[in-house]
Amino acid sequence: MGDSQTQSEQPFVGGRPSPWRLFWIWTVIGAQSFGGGSATLYLIRRVAVERHAWLSDDDFTRYWGICQIAPGINILGLVILIGWRVAGVPGALLSLSGLLLPSAAITVALTSIYASIREAPVVRAAIAGVVPATVGLGLLLAFTMVRPLLNSARREGRASTLVAVVLLLVSTIVAALARTPVLAILWGAGALSALAQWQLVPRQRWPR
Amino acid sequence: MSHHLALFWIMLRAALLSTTGTGNLPIVHQDLLSRGWATDRQFAESLAIGQISPGPTGLWVISLGYFVGGLRGAAVTLVAIALPPLLVLVLVQGLYRRWSYHPAIQGFVRGLGLAVAGVFVIVLTGIMNTAGWNSTNLIITLGAIVLGAMRRVPVLVVLVLAAIVGIALF
Repeated sequence: MGDSQTQSEQPFVGGRPSPWRLFWIWTVIGAQSFGGGSATLYLIRRVAVERHAWLSDDDFTRYWGICQIAPGINILGLVILIGWRVAGVPGALLSLSGLLLPSAAITVALTSIYASIREAPVVRAAIAGVVPATVGLGLLLAFTMVRPLLNSARREGRASTLVAVVLLLVSTIVAALARTPVLAILWGAGALSALAQWQLVPRQRWPR
Repeated sequence: MSHHLALFWIMLRAALLSTTGTGNLPIVHQDLLSRGWATDRQFAESLAIGQISPGPTGLWVISLGYFVGGLRGAAVTLVAIALPPLLVLVLVQGLYRRWSYHPAIQGFVRGLGLAVAGVFVIVLTGIMNTAGWNSTNLIITLGAIVLGAMRRVPVLVVLVLAAIVGIALF
């Protein structure tokens, strides 16, 4: 990010693909991006920035920044913004459905196959092994979610770091002990962090 | 039908009020478990299926939607996770471009992310409560962390190994 935020967005110079072709490009990305979010992000960058030159590297980073605060899956937001840039609202819709349909279809197919053999003794035994592994991978995921947030807090100084660590610990403890609505915990932590950030980060570091 | 409508609303609300593909997990978990519509085992299973299927992280809810409401449940969940980013980004794109770097917004996103991770850990301990805190399970958990932390090993391999261990031991 850095300075790129302050520059204005580059005009669209790439070729505009036909609707069908646009849909197909995203379908291929959706079907082949095994390995979660970072694999998908990598593929999108390669196709949209390098192969088709729909947008510059800086704009890609800027879009990704916007998507961090959009609701839902960040990658879907990115796909929508790129599709919108290429061909307006129809482009956004085509790109989103192109990315989602094959991967959602494969997910449903895997689930229905699994659901039909779920009660077989061998499968039950296999799942008894998979469940703790999922917990392990989930803990790793939680760690990778927290690390960049704590790192950016650390770059801002000791006060920001303290706020971040306290929020992390308190939200974990509240979730463990009290029967609190999860939404209250999530948005409460968000609101407190917003307030702290507003007080702690100097205004001049806010690029327009 | 009202069952599917309620599922749609739960999924939509969770996606609207969170960010990232796992930010909705704590909300969905609380909503579905309190109704008795899903179990901790089904959560773990859909997370595992989500890990091995292609596409962005976050499609695990489609798998969960299938467990709760069959094919229709998966379909309403798909729509429910596609709508929030679409509506919000298309409707308020200009606002987003202008405000997304404001310290308070950045702070909000950070606080939300930290709390999601914290609650997520508690959800995971709940799944572990169901599975049992015995030494075999703990060793598998630890093994998955170690293998997963080495970025060379694909998630699919970790899960297949865990399944083999499960078949051998249970």
